[in-house]
Amino acid sequence: MATQTQIEVVMPQMGVSVSEGTIVKWLKREGQRVLADEPLLEISTDKVDTEVPSPGDGILGSIVTLEGETVAVGTTIALITTGGEAPAEQESESTTTAPIPPASPEPVAALPADRAFVSPVVARIAAEHSVDLERVSGSGHGGRVTKKDVLAHIAAATTPVAAANEPLPAPVTSAPSSGDRLEPMSQMRRSIAEHMRRSLDTAAHATTVFEVDMSNVVAIRARLKPEFLERHAVRLTYLAFVARATVEALRNWPWLNAEIRGQEIVTHSYINLCIAVAVDGGKGLVVPAIRNAEGLNLLGMARAIQDVAERARSKQLTPEDVQGGTFTITNPGGHGSIVGTPIINQPQVAILDTEALVKRPVVISDEKGVDAISVRPIMNLCLSFDHRLIDGAYAVQFMAEIRRSLESWGEERY
Amino acid sequence: MAIARDTESLSSSLDAEQLGLDRADLLGMYRDMLVTRGIEERGHILYKQGKIPGSFYTGRGNEAAAVGVASAMQPEDAGTPLHRDMGVHVTRGVEPWRILAQYMGREDGPARGRDGNVHMALIEQNLVAMVSHLPAMMPVAVGLALAFRIRNERRVSVCWYGDGAAARGDAHEAMNFAGVRRLPVVFVCDNNQYAYSTPPQLEYACANLADRAAAYGFDGVVVDGTDILAVYSEAKRAIEKARQGGGPTLVECLTLRMEGHAVHDDAFYVPRELLEEWAKRDPIGRFRLWLGEHVQAGEAELGELEQQVKALLAEAQKRAESSPAPDPSELEQGVYAEPEQPQESTDA
Amino acid sequence: MPEKTYLQAISDGLRQEMHRDERVFVLGEDVGVYGGAFKVTVGLLEEFGPWRVIDAPLSEIAIVGGATGSALMGLRPIAELQFSDFVSCAWDQLVTVAAKQHFRAGTPVPMVLRLPSGGGFSGGPFHSQSPESAFTHVPGLKVVCPATPHDAKGLLATAVDDPNPVLYFEHKHLYRRIKGEVPDERYTIPFGKARIERAGDDVTLVTWGAMVYTAAEAADELQAGGVSVEIIDLRTLQPWDKQAVLESVAKTSKLLILHEDTRTSGFGAEIAAQVVEEAFEQLDAPIRRVAAPDTPIPFSPQLEKAYIPQVEDVASALRELAAY
Repeated sequence: MATQTQIEVVMPQMGVSVSEGTIVKWLKREGQRVLADEPLLEISTDKVDTEVPSPGDGILGSIVTLEGETVAVGTTIALITTGGEAPAEQESESTTTAPIPPASPEPVAALPADRAFVSPVVARIAAEHSVDLERVSGSGHGGRVTKKDVLAHIAAATTPVAAANEPLPAPVTSAPSSGDRLEPMSQMRRSIAEHMRRSLDTAAHATTVFEVDMSNVVAIRARLKPEFLERHAVRLTYLAFVARATVEALRNWPWLNAEIRGQEIVTHSYINLCIAVAVDGGKGLVVPAIRNAEGLNLLGMARAIQDVAERARSKQLTPEDVQGGTFTITNPGGHGSIVGTPIINQPQVAILDTEALVKRPVVISDEKGVDAISVRPIMNLCLSFDHRLIDGAYAVQFMAEIRRSLESWGEERY
Repeated sequence: MAIARDTESLSSSLDAEQLGLDRADLLGMYRDMLVTRGIEERGHILYKQGKIPGSFYTGRGNEAAAVGVASAMQPEDAGTPLHRDMGVHVTRGVEPWRILAQYMGREDGPARGRDGNVHMALIEQNLVAMVSHLPAMMPVAVGLALAFRIRNERRVSVCWYGDGAAARGDAHEAMNFAGVRRLPVVFVCDNNQYAYSTPPQLEYACANLADRAAAYGFDGVVVDGTDILAVYSEAKRAIEKARQGGGPTLVECLTLRMEGHAVHDDAFYVPRELLEEWAKRDPIGRFRLWLGEHVQAGEAELGELEQQVKALLAEAQKRAESSPAPDPSELEQGVYAEPEQPQESTDA
Repeated sequence: MPEKTYLQAISDGLRQEMHRDERVFVLGEDVGVYGGAFKVTVGLLEEFGPWRVIDAPLSEIAIVGGATGSALMGLRPIAELQFSDFVSCAWDQLVTVAAKQHFRAGTPVPMVLRLPSGGGFSGGPFHSQSPESAFTHVPGLKVVCPATPHDAKGLLATAVDDPNPVLYFEHKHLYRRIKGEVPDERYTIPFGKARIERAGDDVTLVTWGAMVYTAAEAADELQAGGVSVEIIDLRTLQPWDKQAVLESVAKTSKLLILHEDTRTSGFGAEIAAQVVEEAFEQLDAPIRRVAAPDTPIPFSPQLEKAYIPQVEDVASALRELAAY
């Protein structure tokens, strides 16, 4: 077992002339795990009211100074124990305890007053995944976020398999009304909530809807479907056709496969196509990426989609599977919806959604310009795009190309 | 063990035939000397015109020594000539236009612009390109001879060094090894009496550099380096002795360096009288006279030969000037030789 | 498969090369009658005769110059200097003549120079050096540093085949201490291809020569503590397997370079510079080097132990790096 050391939490000096401070509120309870730089308590002084961040990682061993008490600057107000094992979570309210005489405190490595150092690889991974490093717990030297930390954070945020290191916050003490059900959000839920809010706050969302006549695709799919199943054990879906058409169209409309980084546009030469997969009976969402989708033909695409979907549902995705996507397709249409306004998967700039395939009456003109009514299988495709980068004209031409591609899908095309 | 000895001048003798040289051979040697000097004179002009970069060295006064020794070599023999030995390259058949291209740092110089002035050689002619750290080529020349000895080939290595370089350890180590193993190498010392500005009395303590041969177990001879036939005679003797398995010889060719160490040096430190005295013994002039006296080569014939050489060199200069500059994008190529077969892992 | 010592592997390799190609010959001090100062060439004189196993006078210049010249004439000399420390006597021949010949004149110099190197037995400043780094800085030379008997023989064969001057640094402290499986038949190991001594996920350790064994012991200690170290034995320094190192750094994001040569301007500095240039965004910690201090090699055992990187030095550096 690792040796335990004690870190003292002291009343900070919030200004040259300040000599004391008052504890307003402890944000953590005794026995709770705390992370370096995480807000530990709120204080009030003559100069300013502020949060005090934890000086290190560990367990909040004992709170010496209680809420409401005023003490001189430099007074030890709590002790954090580093190393060793976390005690079992406590559901009770924080209790006062007699101050424990501190073991001879070992000097702790001085932490930087500002944010801890971010190494090149951590910076890169964080940028690629739009991870806010403030929210990531750091296990490295000086409390910094290591590569392992940030990768674990991403994996926990995007797969349903999340080892909850942090104990859930204590339940709100106000009594629930009868009939209400209270449940804590799962790691995945919280992560989706954060992502969706952030996406709407980041991108300037606009959506365009196109109707596509899928007659040719329906016919070709009917022909190929048994062959794919028997010979390749692959289920051929409409999604595979749409994905193929999308990937080809992205070649000509590359900004839809790009990212905005600060003032720069980063256009990717590869297409890592994300497919949104619903899990947990619709209560969860996973978006794994098919890498280098531009190199896949129809069979390859269908196979790849089938593979990621299966692995997503059976919780077999790896951290690498959910990183690095450049464009997303979501397909809610299976349940009958005909229009959607999907939210962009950050840091991408567009997301395509495929709606239900519905037989509709349509007007067909012959060569002489004579109109007639015909029944055709129509699928709506909805593209939400980030108007900071993509203008309407760009988006609709991209969609028009996808439509042309699907409507003219030839026998020989694979 | 023989001691160093002076040779007799052959210039006054009629025994060129005994050396196996016919009239054509003799005129050929004269021509080679003319071409050598002509190239170097032309080089002076080109240098002052800014067409030759870097520095420029000549072997003016050493033509007989260089051509004389080279003429005594067989094609299968190998050599490591130095910067006063342009005549060796000319005699062995390197075309003048390529030599001028070399000076000018062009693609058609034997070093393709990667090295300058006389740091060139064509391995097809069994010549090895010299370096500046003299006499670092001496141990290498001994290495050439080592190969011949190991393979029992009747080939000889000819090694050049100068009175200055003789002071360095490489000379000792090379000659010691060659003497111990009786290797087929001839050491030719171009003693032109000045190593840059250092005269002999400050460069070596023995009377003749050839005296040192005894220390290594072989013969040393001093030859009048301005007498091409004397040089040829001693070189031939030494080379054939080596070929027969008789081991090394040190042939010290005594001349005077008639120009500065390089074109930037006006050689003010060489006494005027010395220069005047040796100017009278100019190797080309001497041999011209001898040819006139002993093989009836008249003014017309020699004049004609001299004109041909001039025309050859004019043509060579034109051709050299049209040789392209080397391509900088190829600079990093050729640092390493490629293996004949790619290196595959034949790991068991 | 037969087990041979590092020395036997080299010895057998020499014999095999000489049988295989009559152009190959051995040149050095005390290599013939005496069988070599370390007994690497025992028996070769009797087998191949005095013009293929040549006892040279005490002259590194004659040995290296002789090798250069004979290589220019188409032979394949395997020359030997008795201690790598004496290579400085032949510096000029190597750097001025052999290294630059092909670049200037297009003529290959297919020679091998064997250099017993390394310390650890109170050899003092002039019998213990590992001067390989200096030669990586000379364009035209190749530098080889085998660590195992298997690699020693395979790399020797490749060196003989290579048309360039190859400096072959055999670590004399490994001669009799290290045994391994060595095939009887001839095989080659390409230059510029590293050997992964062990795979790992947490830290990459790059090294060569005898330090591979020090690294292995240190890595074992760390494994017991739950840190997995990937050890890359470069095997050759010029050329070196940059690709293998970059791939490993992409995985672990932490790099430690270990060499027995002194620290400043040792080859570790070059590796570090190139990794930072090409894999900056893969790094999760500064690149560390563990090397000998910038002093001549001392004689007394206590001082030498403070000079040559020990297992504890490497293990402690690895631990710090892993915890960063």
